Parts: sequence; C-alpha cells; structure tokens
Amino acid sequence: MDSVLANAHPEETVFGEVLDVTVPLRFSTPAEEYKAIRERAALLDLSGLGLIEISGDGAVDFAQRVLARDVEYLTSERCMMSLVLDESGQIVDQVVVWGRENGMFLESSCGAGPRLLEHLQKHNDEGVDIVDRSGELTILGLEGPYAWGVVGRLIDGELASLPFEAVVDTTWNGVDIVFGRTGFTSEYGYQMIVPTESAAELWRQSLEQAVPAGNEALEIAMLEVRQPVIRHEATGGVDIIEGGANWLVDITKESFIGREAVLEAFNGPTGRRTLGFGGGESVPEPGTRVLAAGQDIGEVVYAVHSLGLGTTLGLARVDAEFAAAGLRFTVGDAEVTTLTSPYITPKSWSIPII
Amino acid sequence: MTIDELRARAAQRQQACDQIKKMIVNRLDLEIEPNWITDDQPLFGRGLELDSLDILELYVAIEAEFGVALYDSEMAVFGSVSRLAETIRPELRAAAAV
Repeated sequence: MDSVLANAHPEETVFGEVLDVTVPLRFSTPAEEYKAIRERAALLDLSGLGLIEISGDGAVDFAQRVLARDVEYLTSERCMMSLVLDESGQIVDQVVVWGRENGMFLESSCGAGPRLLEHLQKHNDEGVDIVDRSGELTILGLEGPYAWGVVGRLIDGELASLPFEAVVDTTWNGVDIVFGRTGFTSEYGYQMIVPTESAAELWRQSLEQAVPAGNEALEIAMLEVRQPVIRHEATGGVDIIEGGANWLVDITKESFIGREAVLEAFNGPTGRRTLGFGGGESVPEPGTRVLAAGQDIGEVVYAVHSLGLGTTLGLARVDAEFAAAGLRFTVGDAEVTTLTSPYITPKSWSIPII
Repeated sequence: MTIDELRARAAQRQQACDQIKKMIVNRLDLEIEPNWITDDQPLFGRGLELDSLDILELYVAIEAEFGVALYDSEMAVFGSVSRLAETIRPELRAAAAV
C-alpha cells in the first residue's frame, strides 16, 4: 500500500517497503533529515502508521484486555504508548492509544496496521466495533527542538505547550483534526490526525515551516533514545523482559492478554538482556555474534550508523550477567563499548518552549 | 580484560542500578518490584512517567542516600537508571574509560 501522500512528495523521494506499506525512506539525505529532527523541526509522513478505531459499549473492557497498559481512565484528552501482546507474551505491536469520546484510536507502528487489525478482530469477544480508519484519516508528525514553533505558526501557539501525551480536538484551515503531543525521538513531538482529503494541503503548508524527514532518519533517531522499533526488535521469539520493553507494560494491571507469560518470564531463570553498544565503522547484520574476552555471549539485534554519535550504534542481546554499560565487547571485527541510554542527549531537553 | 574481570565490572554496574531502582520504588511508593524497572528505561515523561514532583522527591532521596546534590539543570541524568547511576557514582564511568 502506497503512502496517501505519495503524490504530494517530490519525484526524487526514495520510497521503500516497511512491512505492509510503502513509505518515504528519505526525501534528501539521512544526514540532512536527521539534522532537522535533532536541531530544528522535521515533518514526518506517518501515513504508514495504521489507525484503528474501537468503539461501542464494551470498548474500554476490550482495550483493557488487548492492551498491556492500563487505559481504563484514558480520556479523549490523553494518549499513551502501549504494547499489544499475544497469549505467549510475544509482541504483536507497539501502539499509541488515543482516547476518544466513544472509544479509542489505536495507532500501529509503521506497516503493522493489517497485523494489528487481524489480532484485534481475532480477540473481539466483546463484539465491539473495530474499524480500520487508515484510509480516511492520515497522520502527520512534527519532531524537533523547534517543532513547537511550527505548531504555533501552523495551528495555535497554545497547542505547542500542551503537556506530554495531551490530546486536543481542534481545527486547522477549517478542517477538524485531532492534535496530540507525542513522539518517538525524545525531541518535542506532535502528531496531527487529519482527514485524508486534507492531508496533502496540511503537508504542503507544514513544509513551509519544517524539513521533511523519511523513515530512515526517524528510525536512527528512535534508536538513539532507545525508543523501540518493533519490526527490528521483536524478532526471534524474544520476550519483553529480554527485550527490555517492561515500561510499555503495566504489570500491576490485573488482567490482559499475555500477562501470565510476561510474569513467567519475569520470575523465571534469568536469560538474556538487551543493551546498546557503539563503535566500529561497519554496521553489523542482525545475528552477528557478540564476544566478551573471546567468549560468545550473545548477538546483534540490529544496528545503524548513528548520525548523532558519528559511529555505529546497535542493540545486542547478551547473557544477563554481561548486560551493563561501560564494557568492551567484540562485534564482528570491531571493538565496541556498551552504552548508557539514551545514547545521545536530545536538544529539546535543554530548550524551553517560548 | 579477562572474562572474569568483565563479569565483575558488569556486576558492579548492575548493583549500582539495583540500588537506585530500590530507592525510586521506595521513595515514590510505586507498586512494582524494583527490578521491573530496566536499566535503560526512560524515567521522566515517557517510560516510568515521573513528573516534576517525583523528580524533586528523588533529588532529596539521592542526596540523602548517596550524598550527591543534583539540580534542575541536570534533568538529562534522569534519562535512565543507568545514566543516573553514572552521575551518582562517577567511578563507574571512570572504570568504563579504562
């Protein structure tokens, strides 16, 4: 499935498949786009994120059962991130849950909408209405230390200083949109859910204020702050304890799909853990062995060239007794050092919204 | 460095992180086991979702338990437990540089 904004993007845009969708990978170069994310304001075509509405009398009960975090009191003015797990505790997807008056929107990770929809329909014991709104609604994102300024010029300055994960129903250019302060890169982040017929115009107007960034630069920026990229990390039968995604699960919630398996993994024998490493010139493939003093202790989950660090940055899954920052390992032919998260310090953490 | 030295260095770091997790859970009265918090988990905003009042409480707790005074300008140290550990116990960072 192509981006609904494909015709709004310039000819030189490089598109690529991410799971079940085709999205812009880059508009110019990853370096330029990354710079916009980390130093200015980047505009993101998030049309590859599925948007599924659940509504009806049992919507909250259903959401409580299929989501790993507690959404019982999620109002239409809030959103939050959560994992969706299967019965064996494996990750189906990571979602942003948007509270709505009569239910919720579940925003999938990039390209995972069809898989998420299938999972939700399979578990719909409550008979709630589950509707894929991805075709009629499109998500645009703004991220960067000065993204708040773009929001002010584009829509309303007051929206820029909303608390993290706040949601407002508002209008832009006479069009009803859902606006939320959320994001993936730890910079100031905002998302706009807009009717698809108006998405190209919102994209065009946003471009006057921000630099377009594709999925390549976005995923690099996500890894740099240890924001999970599910399609890379939830592989090889990893459970959430090994993957380190505990923070996307409310284990104090009494019941949800996958809870027993998660608890079993948490209380079971300590296995592997995931941690970041940096160093080396080449980017190792997933599965590359990780050695500690010559001893095989694990493997690379995935790696990129970090533009913020200027070197290779990756995640490795290693025996728990070696899962600590500040150690020197060998990955392929490179000497690497295990790192403390976040691996870069976002500029937004030191820039106030004016 | 030998495998045993690497193992010992990892244990030292993990012990420091465990100590911080226990402090966070106890001081903020969280209903989770300390080791549910991962070393790399974000603390402020997303992740553990601590707010400004929680951070103030932790400033007091860190000074009381570790003798280290932190200030508003050092919010980046709450990027993760592991980052906080390096700030509270700078010898961990020094050891890593060896």
